[in-house]
Amino acid sequence: MSTLIEVSGLNKFFGDKQALNNVDFEIEKGAPVALVGPNGAGKTTLFSVLCGYIQPSAGQVKIFNANPGSKATFGRLAALPQDAQLDPRFSIAHQLSFYGQLQGFDKKKSKSEVERTLDLVGLSDTLNEKPDALSHGMRKRVTIAQALMGTPDIVMLDEATAGLDPLHAREIRQLVASLSSDITFILSSHDLNELERLCQQVLYLDKGVLQRHKTLANDIDHSYLTLRMEKQEEGLIEGLKSIEQVIDVVNSQDREYLISVQQNIDNMPLDIQILQMCHQRQWSYRQLINGKTLENQLF
Amino acid sequence: MLELHSFHRIWCLAKFELVRMFLTKRGGIAIAAFSTAWFLILYYAISTADVLVSSDIFVTVAHQIISAAGMSELLSWPVPELSVFWVMAVYSFPIFSLVAASDQTCADRSRGTLRFIALRATRAEILVGRFLGQALILAVLIACTLIATLLMASYRDVSLFFVGLIKSIDLFQSILIAVMPFIALMAFLNSFIRSARLAIIVSFLFFGIIPLVIAFVEYKLGFNTFLTYLIPGVQLSDVINQKNVFLSSYVIPLAQACGYLLIGNVVMKRSAL
Repeated sequence: MSTLIEVSGLNKFFGDKQALNNVDFEIEKGAPVALVGPNGAGKTTLFSVLCGYIQPSAGQVKIFNANPGSKATFGRLAALPQDAQLDPRFSIAHQLSFYGQLQGFDKKKSKSEVERTLDLVGLSDTLNEKPDALSHGMRKRVTIAQALMGTPDIVMLDEATAGLDPLHAREIRQLVASLSSDITFILSSHDLNELERLCQQVLYLDKGVLQRHKTLANDIDHSYLTLRMEKQEEGLIEGLKSIEQVIDVVNSQDREYLISVQQNIDNMPLDIQILQMCHQRQWSYRQLINGKTLENQLF
Repeated sequence: MLELHSFHRIWCLAKFELVRMFLTKRGGIAIAAFSTAWFLILYYAISTADVLVSSDIFVTVAHQIISAAGMSELLSWPVPELSVFWVMAVYSFPIFSLVAASDQTCADRSRGTLRFIALRATRAEILVGRFLGQALILAVLIACTLIATLLMASYRDVSLFFVGLIKSIDLFQSILIAVMPFIALMAFLNSFIRSARLAIIVSFLFFGIIPLVIAFVEYKLGFNTFLTYLIPGVQLSDVINQKNVFLSSYVIPLAQACGYLLIGNVVMKRSAL
């Protein structure tokens, strides 16, 4: 595994306000990484530092062993910065082709890259449109297309699916999943289900502090099950607690139950028992998840 | 190899500025306004230059007025159209360049477009590329006005073409170098200002207030601080008189342009995108 990003002792102040507080982490080439945290946690600030848009107040940041924003990162690190917009005076093709030429492609190669990436985001028919002629979601997809030009090693997407309709959000998720064998994606989003599906590593920031840096893959906590029901069922908690392996049941949120499990009891597997109970009592369940959901792990 | 890539990126950025000026609606409006202004200058001032310069009354008056300003040399130029062009261009192009080059990075910065570019070019390359683009735009416009002036002179007297052409090349070079510190000043202001309109206002304040501050400082100190050399265009009266040509036409403007670009680079490197 090669280390793509190394961050140590990173601090960023905006006046008196500390946006990042002594952040340390490493990201290696591989599966997508989620950057999670509440509003104002410092996610966009961290993105901006990694992209070289702002300078850190203290600490060291290395991308491909070079400084952010340096020539060594051009063409290898791509990003969808939050709220960045294309120039409304030029067509999509013209602007993306310009970016391709800046990346070192000739005109022909730039044109083919523009066509390829717009096709990836399902917008190949907007080549000659100007950004103002597109909807918010389409503009977002165009900016995702610019991040996929060439052969980047890292693509950072800040709130990539925010503002997209469910169909296109799903297409972007599928796109990320399909490209993640070649590209290491770093995704920031408030949609934890989305991140849980796509990512195997999570960076959780809160108030500028990196609270957790954990790997989700092969890290299922078997001492928990999460049960999601179609509707609130009377007697469900009591029913679950009556099963021998169940230590505790918490109604973690509406129609969702976090079940603490006692392991090493030689009995019928708990998930089978729960499903049998639902079947017998004619309760419709929606999902039964091994371990905690990302949301329950973080909050 | 890396340096070659830098030149490539700078050239891409410069070409994009040319497209922005000459092939977009907003650029077209600016060109239309510029063309209208120069049409009036060509039609009312330059086309009648030979009559004006050769008339006894004008020569008498001009000698009294222009000599006082040290510009009598201009009356002896073989192509009077170029004399009038020179007087008009030396002052109008720098002022026009302040407006034309007012939005080198600020709109892109406030819109966030600069973030896409900064992932593909260094900030120094962006600064120099945009500066070069604006200088090329000004070069095209200066060349167009000079060609129009030369054609007018040649239409009147075809024998003036070659002598006028040689003088035109000289004037082109002098005006282009004269506008460079103005473009560089706007590049510097763009490194921290997020609106083209504000950049123009700040530049006008700069030209209005800085000379007063320098005069006050020198008055208090009692000696010449040479701080006036910080002001773009400080040498323009020498340029128009063709005095101290090497210093006024080359050294001062080029040093000023380099100075403002260097400061702009320092500020831009530290500024948030």
